[in-house]
Amino acid sequence: MIFIAIVMGCILGAVIGIYAPMVPYTYSGYLAIAIIAALDSVFGGIASTLNKQFDLKIFVSGFFGNAILSMLLTYLGQKLNVDIYLAAIVVFVGRMFNNLAIIRRYYLQKWTSHKKKETGEKVG
Amino acid sequence: MKKKQIATTLGIMCFILTMCIAIQIRTVKNSNSTAMQALVDDGLRDEVLRWKERYDNAYQELLDSEKQLTQVREQATQNNTTANAKQQQIKENNMLLGTTQVKGAGLEIILADNNAMGAGLLEPSIILVHYNDLLEVVNALNNAGAEAISINGQRIITTTAITCEGNVIKVNGEKISSPFAIKAIGSQGLLLGSMTMAGGYLSLMEDNGVIVNVKTVDDITIEKYNGIISYKYVKSK
Repeated sequence: MIFIAIVMGCILGAVIGIYAPMVPYTYSGYLAIAIIAALDSVFGGIASTLNKQFDLKIFVSGFFGNAILSMLLTYLGQKLNVDIYLAAIVVFVGRMFNNLAIIRRYYLQKWTSHKKKETGEKVG
Repeated sequence: MKKKQIATTLGIMCFILTMCIAIQIRTVKNSNSTAMQALVDDGLRDEVLRWKERYDNAYQELLDSEKQLTQVREQATQNNTTANAKQQQIKENNMLLGTTQVKGAGLEIILADNNAMGAGLLEPSIILVHYNDLLEVVNALNNAGAEAISINGQRIITTTAITCEGNVIKVNGEKISSPFAIKAIGSQGLLLGSMTMAGGYLSLMEDNGVIVNVKTVDDITIEKYNGIISYKYVKSK
């Protein structure tokens, strides 16, 4: 059910995104930083699901809150002539790698334990 | 009920995320960024410089071979009176055409935009030198019997056009800008008199505020015409 909803959302979003009007180039920087923030939230969500700590409220608020906050910070940085978006990218991408590491470890552990069980059964 | 809610929320979020990514990818693809633009500009600038260098080299070669040609011609016609006369004729014709550098007594006129005066004027364009001013001056010089004229190194020959393109003046298709140094060879008295007479064109320009400076020079060098004179439609009878 959840899986189907996610796939449907992705396909629908891609199709509509292809036919949607383009944003002006000046604002595409804001959109990019929002996408990075949202992706970070998604990986965070997956990692927390694996740890069985997933909370929809936290996930949704992080998804939109981070995106909007990073956009605002980028705007502020542009006004102050400081590249704040670089800091945002460093934080988000660093967290993304952390979350990916958690996901990788979880599945790696699952896989190795599964294999051990299999071989143990054979021997037994 | 709870699962359904989670599913719809996640679906909507995925929808928004993929839509944003698709839009962003299309935007980036369609607009060449400023960095890209700068790269293209640099490339073009390099190419212009390379071509200019090549042109300069070729022009230098042309000059050398022309010099050689004159030498060869002189050697060949040394002991032959008819050929010598022909050689003389060629020289004279080249001088008339403007394809040789010439020297002589003459006049130098400097015309320059008076930028200092421009601020408070009702009509600021009158203190600038326009292409028609150059045309008038060249015409007046020709009328006073000038034998060779150049503006900022551009020789005035029979096919020369003085044009105004946007905010630049072109002579022989080459851009020139203020200050304009107009050199003319001819009778100094006639040239000076006709150029500086009261009510003449230069005095009108000076009254308007243009910087005008006329002086006689006893030994003036006028450059040759750099271009190629070619006729496509004219045929000799």
